[in-house]
Amino acid sequence: MFIINCPYCGERDQTEFSCGGEAHIERPKQPTELSDDQWAEYLFMRKNIKGVQFERWNHAHGCRKWFNMVRDTSNDKIQAVYKMGEKPPVK
Amino acid sequence: MLSFNSPIKEEKKYNDLKIVEIEPTIKINLRSNKREFSTKIGKILSILPPNEANTSSGNENYNFLWLSPDEWLVYSNNINHTLDNQIELENNLFNEISKLNQGAVTNVSDNWVMINLKGSKTFDLLSKSCPFNFKDFKNKKGSVVQTVLNHVDVILHNKDENDLNLFVRRSFSQDLWLWINDSARFL
Ligand SMILES: [Zn+2]
Repeated sequence: MFIINCPYCGERDQTEFSCGGEAHIERPKQPTELSDDQWAEYLFMRKNIKGVQFERWNHAHGCRKWFNMVRDTSNDKIQAVYKMGEKPPVK
Repeated sequence: MLSFNSPIKEEKKYNDLKIVEIEPTIKINLRSNKREFSTKIGKILSILPPNEANTSSGNENYNFLWLSPDEWLVYSNNINHTLDNQIELENNLFNEISKLNQGAVTNVSDNWVMINLKGSKTFDLLSKSCPFNFKDFKNKKGSVVQTVLNHVDVILHNKDENDLNLFVRRSFSQDLWLWINDSARFL
């Protein structure tokens, strides 16, 4: 169990949130020009790293807003939380 | 009277805890991210929407709860409001906000069930199955939180010391009511 600092509501229990997978994945500008392999790469392939990962989260049982989070998947340590559209505060 | 058919219709008393459903009340959900929204609302309801997270504003007629940076819940204090009152308020808001593309107005009077919890055991009861830390909430009159209670989504509005209104979706209200009463026996 860990505490997540929602950028809108403040500190809340993890059970109020749901994870939306990897963040900062850009939709291809011209999907029709892609091969099936390239499209599948965009749709399905995720880094799933052990270590620092950039993720999208949703405060599902609170303000219902989406935001981004930098989390170390090996120890669940949250390094930063930032709003949608903002640049990640850590590299 | 509003034509509201409550699924609960009960009042329960335990040691240092009183639980009662307060109905019917007008409840309206508002969404907007426009700048003129605040002044428009001020004109219609004579209250300004709270901008600060987890807070509320209000006057003798209405309470204005912060739900998210662009979403609020308004509910009436008066259970004697008539259907005409509700239609009038809804029309006023709709004409000034929805029609002019300033946001969205949704009547949620029948969507939310409002339960009042009062007494010194109120927070002991909530703490039985709620992950929220009530330390600051408890001491701040008017604070608002959306969280889960026994896995059910709720909105809590701290009215006064050990006196709060709980909003639960109608379809979950009976289940939560049974859980609340079951838990209250063990306080
Ligand atoms: Zn939130």
